[in-house]
Formats: sequence, C-alpha cells, structure tokens
Amino acid sequence: MADRQAAQIPDLRSLLSSRGRGGLRARGRARRGSPERFQHENTPQVKDTIVQRTDHDAAASRMSAVELGYLEDPYARLFATAPTPRRFPIMNRGTYIRTSAIDKLVNKFLDSNPDVQKQIISLGAGTDTRYFRILSKSPRSSLLYHELDFAHNTGHKIATIQRTPGLLSQIKAALSSPDELEISEDATVLTSPTYNIHAIDLRNIAADPPPSLPNISSSAPTLLISECCLIYLTPEAASRVLTTLTQRLIPEPTPVAIVLYEPIKPNDSFGRTMVSNLATRGIVLETLQQYPSLAAQRDRFRDAGFVDGQGAAGTDFIYDAWVSSKEKERVAALEMMDELEEWLLLAKHYCVAWGWRNGGDFRFQDAWTTLKGQTNE
Amino acid sequence: MSDLDKAIAQLRACRLIPENQVRELTYKARELLIEEGNVVGVDAPVTICGDIHGQFHDLMELFRVGGDVPETNYLFMGDFVDRGFYSLESFLLLLCLKVRYPDRITLIRGNHESRQITTVYGFYDECIRKYGSANVWRYCCDVFDYLALGALVTGATTNLEPSAAPFQSSDTASQSEQNSYADQDIEIEILNSAGEIMSRFPRASQQQAPLSPSKTLPSSSPIAPSASGPSGTGATSSSNGSRTSNSGAVLCVHGGLSPLIDTIDKIRLLDRKQEVPHEGAMCDLLWSDPDEIDGWGLSPRGAGFLFGADIVKCFNHTNNLSLIARAHQLVMEGFKEMFESTIVTVWSAPNYCYRCGNVAAILELGEDGGNGGFVPRSNGDIGRSRGVLNERNREGPGRRYRVFEAAPQDSRGMPAKKPVADYFL
Repeated sequence: MADRQAAQIPDLRSLLSSRGRGGLRARGRARRGSPERFQHENTPQVKDTIVQRTDHDAAASRMSAVELGYLEDPYARLFATAPTPRRFPIMNRGTYIRTSAIDKLVNKFLDSNPDVQKQIISLGAGTDTRYFRILSKSPRSSLLYHELDFAHNTGHKIATIQRTPGLLSQIKAALSSPDELEISEDATVLTSPTYNIHAIDLRNIAADPPPSLPNISSSAPTLLISECCLIYLTPEAASRVLTTLTQRLIPEPTPVAIVLYEPIKPNDSFGRTMVSNLATRGIVLETLQQYPSLAAQRDRFRDAGFVDGQGAAGTDFIYDAWVSSKEKERVAALEMMDELEEWLLLAKHYCVAWGWRNGGDFRFQDAWTTLKGQTNE
Repeated sequence: MSDLDKAIAQLRACRLIPENQVRELTYKARELLIEEGNVVGVDAPVTICGDIHGQFHDLMELFRVGGDVPETNYLFMGDFVDRGFYSLESFLLLLCLKVRYPDRITLIRGNHESRQITTVYGFYDECIRKYGSANVWRYCCDVFDYLALGALVTGATTNLEPSAAPFQSSDTASQSEQNSYADQDIEIEILNSAGEIMSRFPRASQQQAPLSPSKTLPSSSPIAPSASGPSGTGATSSSNGSRTSNSGAVLCVHGGLSPLIDTIDKIRLLDRKQEVPHEGAMCDLLWSDPDEIDGWGLSPRGAGFLFGADIVKCFNHTNNLSLIARAHQLVMEGFKEMFESTIVTVWSAPNYCYRCGNVAAILELGEDGGNGGFVPRSNGDIGRSRGVLNERNREGPGRRYRVFEAAPQDSRGMPAKKPVADYFL
C-alpha cells in the first residue's frame, strides 16, 4: 500500500529516477524510496540536480492547467516528458495566475514602442514555452529572446526542439536565413539572431573570464524574467546576477526591467510548513528570508538598479485585480473549487514583482500603466 | 473477537480490509443509516468534530486527544474523504465504529461525500489505486447518500464543569487568577492536546465585570487576543447572567443555512437519499458559509450561499437554538465563533493537506446534570417580540475546545509515508 502511495507523488518520482539512472527516459518509471534520503545527501551536485528538476514539476503543473483549459499552450505537451497527474484545482488556478500575470507584463512590454527591437532574457527558463507562444501570436522577427539555464536543462530542451519539426521550423521562420540557427556540438547551446538558449550556471555569470553569452544586446530595451529561479541562489549570487545584467551586460542608458515570480512570507505557519516540506525534498529557497515580503522585493529591485519604479503583488491580489470578471467566470467554471480558504492562503505566499530603469524615450510605466501592485504591504 | 472488531483493529493500524468486507460493512451501514432522520437527535455530552479529509494519522490523534469510541460520544460533521492520502482508512474506520457503536458516533454528510467531488479531489483515485477497481468507491458513495444532513444536540449544559487539568502556563500569578474563576460559571475552556488549560472564560454577566481575555490568554496561545470577549470567540456580555443550566439546542450541519430552509422541520422533509444536487436546500446545507454580510450573498464556491449574522440569529430564534456548529471552512486556530457566538466553525484536520500549518480543534459539549439531558423544545412566544437581532435567544452551551496539532510522523508504528504537498516551483 505504501509503495502505491509513493507512486502517485509526481515530484518525488522525478527526483528519484534522475538520481537512480541519470537518463531522462527513466523518469516515468521510478524507483521507490524515501524522500528523507535527500536530507542526508545534500552535496552541491545533488542540490543542483534537485533545483534543475524543479522545472519538471513546473512543466507538469503547466500541462495539468493546459489540459483542463486554464491556459492555452499547444507547446506545453511537447516539452512535458512524463504523463502528468492531474493537479488539484487550487494548483491549476495558481499555475494559471503565475503564467497569465507574467504574460501580461511581457506582452505589454512588447506592445509598447512596437517599432523598437526588444530583448527578453529568461533566467532559469527550463522548458518554458513563452518564446514559442509569443512567436505564434505575432511572428516578430525583431524580438531578441534569450533563455539561460543549466546545461542539463538546455540540452533537454534543445533535444526536444531538434526532434520536433514544428518547433524547428517556427524558429527558422523568424530568421532571414535558416542557416543563422546554430546548435553547439553537444547540443546544449542554441544561437540565432532571434532565439538563443545559453547553457550557463548563473552563479558564474560574473566570473572572470565572463561566460559566453552571445547575441545579448546591450542597447535593446530589455526585460528580465525570473520565474522561480533566483530564489534558488544564495542572496549574494542572486544579487550578483542582477547587478551583472543591469550594469555590465545591459549598462545604462539602456532601459531594463525585471519580472519575478516566487514565494514570500516564510515566517507564518503556512510559510514555515512550506519551508520544511520543501526541505524534505531537498529544495532550499535560499533568498526567501532575505526577501520575505512585497516591500522587501520592491527594495531589492531598487537596490539592484531598477531605480525608476517597482511594483509587487500577491497572486491572490493579482487574481482579483488583474483578471477581468468575464475571465474569472470562465476560470471558475473550469473546475469546482472547494478550497477557497486554502487558495487564499497559498496565493498570498506567492508574489509577482517587477521593477524598471528607464532609458532614452522608453518608459516602462507607460507600458505597465494598467498593472497595479499592492501598496499596503 | 468479532469480525467487526477485527476490522476495527486492522483499520486502526491503517491497514485496509478486503473488498468483500467493505461491501458487507457498507451494506450494514446503509441499513443503519436509512433508519436515521435527516436531522439526527443527539444527547449531550458529545464531542463535535469538523473536516477530517483522509488525514488518518490526525484522526488517530483526534481520538487520543478527545477520547476513544465508545467512551466518548462523537459527532462528525462530514468531509471524511478527499485531499489527504488515507481517505479509505479514515472513512472505513469511522463507518466500522458507526456500525459497532451506533449510539456513540454520529456521522453527517459533508459536501465531499459526493460522487462528483470525490472524482476531482482524490477519493476516487485512491480507491482505484488501493483496490484496483471502482467497486469500493461505489459502495462508499452509496453510503454517502444515506448519511444524515444534520444533527440536533440537546441536553447540553450552559456551564462547563471546570477541568481538573493544570494550566499550560507556569505563571503562578495567572494560575491563581484563573483558579479564582472556580466559583464562576465557565462558558468556554480551551485545552491543548496534552489536556492542559490554555485559557478559560467565565460567562460574562451584568454583576461581574468582564474579564480581559488578554490577561488570561497565555502568550503561546494560537488565539489572537481581542478586546470584547474570549478571543477566537464572539462571547461577549450579551448573555444576561441567568443561572439556567441547560442551553437551547445546537444544530450541527456541514456547511450552513439555506434561504429555502427557515425551520429545522423543513430539513426533515427533504429527500436526502441521492447524490448531492448542484442547488437547492440540500446542497446549501452542505456548501454554505457564514460571512460578515447582511442577509444572503452569492458564494464564491459556486454552490451554496453566504449568510450573515441576521440570518443566523433569526434562524436560531425561530428554532430555539443557542448555537449552530458547522465545519467546511479551514480556520487556522481550529475553531472560530462568529456573530456573538451564535455560530461556530470547527475544523479538525491539522496542517490541512500537509501544507497549511493550521491547528485543529474539537468541541465538547457537556451534559446538563439538572434534568437528565432532556430539553423541552419551547416554541412559545416568550421574548420573541423583543427583536431577535439584538440578543441571544438562549444562553449558549458551555464549550470546551481541545486544540491539537498534526500527528507526529511514524510515531505509532503505522505506515506513514510522509506525504508530499504541492508547491509552485
């Protein structure tokens, strides 16, 4: 009985299989064992593997939300590597908010000053499908898109792209010549004048000599995205990533902004439980204590060089304030939601935060004028 | 040892019973439940419990804290299944106890005791996983259709017999202060899982100055202090200090009230032996929530309604109730009294979904020694013309809350895989 219990736990399964056999194909059929083992084996390598694997969890959640109609994303299935167990309605709603809130910030950024070439740098992008979704809506060849992640994850993503003709042709269609697309010999790096996947350990972004990050523009208005990424770095490493990007790679006067999604509030009973539950899975939210509140997130961005404005909101607030009543009606009708108190509790513990530095004529506050944050906390 | 006792022993060890035994058990349970009215009569003393949600190990902790069946008379207000990983073990154990000790345990229906909800929230999947087919799920759903919709507790005393237990706080000054309440009527007592008194509140009266709860609450109490009465409660000086010893009846229902139901007799007239409908009185009783509004409001859950203090006070007055006890909503402190203690939410799933970090509570109502537990249901007019919204109809029952935390893992030799709660990563 207990074994069968373990079998339905999706994250555990992916963690165990990755360690047991190393191969991606092993993910579906996992060896069973105790998650407690990880507490005693937190070597740096194991910790990295666990962080890399959080992407599989995110991909599975995305699949669940897509299959039930919360999100429209024909690409999610292509990158999901294992059959997805259906998530509870509360998780699907959370995934919906997370994705649609970032989409709003990204799309409004892309829609403002449409004639100017824009750049997006997605940190720890994993199997994120955002580039393909943007491309399918409006094939803007001028958008410069970068994804940064561990080689393990970029290799997985590029392999999927290589064996999926639809993805490959979509990337090439945005280029003036298909030859502009280059994939490294070990298939962990993909470069082109539009779409780039860089294999990098973000902790080394400020190393000397600097790691190779080809095609990053130092002059295009840039949006950084950290969707549950920086939180896994130590506070020092996380701020080094931001300052390196805002000062060295994209220096003034280039306009640059950041959108971030991650948990907050570690010190109430839900937060304490979250920290300890994740710890038993070997997951440490390294910067959570450093940035435990919306105010701390805003301050963090001001300190990191996003000096012209900052905003932040809990995902409960975002659901109330950013989603139209018609859309709320649609979402509420997808599944019966008998978890309202729990939803509010969970949603308050995740935030979307953003901050910007203007430059030239580009003013982020004009792009995001309708997206309000919470100012009371 | 009878087969039933064997099954109980096996389930207590968190081991399932064979499918044919489940079939037999559910058949017997249905025979028993079909005889119960929609509103079951229950005599105090009784221990009222809220949602369990398949958290088997925490249900064992509940029995440890509240006493075992049949020594303690229990009333569970539904939501036995879904969400937790041991819905089968939890529900089948409760059902076995019901069949074995029908007069010592009352089970009423929650909104999760439904075919539709259990297919979304885990019980169906658990049945398939553990028994390899949907048979057991079907047997259980057939039982759900026979569960009562509510219970009416009568014979509860207004004044608690003070626990002989020590106070949790070692502060001697506060101890002596607390002990000085010994000659007063105790309305509320809050105990921790070790049986120590976390706080105790005398019934406020016109003769006695109300006590400041902030003085009496130990700092470790999960209950936030408030200015007007015992915190976590709505108890105030609204009661008149009379020394009557039996309270009005207490209605127990999973969710709350319905705009289609103004008297308890109307609940009795419903045809309950069906799947929970999407709307209507039966649905409302299982889905509605009290809220700080006037009158009725739309529920964000998509089923049932929100109802305000005026609705509760009017309903209690009409039906000669002193209190409505309900479950259905997670409350971080385990229980929450609202609307001047005319309604209470009791939540009995600690660290709900292994994630929420909440404590749980059960509510004990003591027996009124004065008249053998018999409470005449007065439908007379006394006091009725004075306006029902501004005062309590009847003095509420004395209430002893036992607050407890999630069971420690692997503590009792039961299989206890640490469940993994979902987060956004």
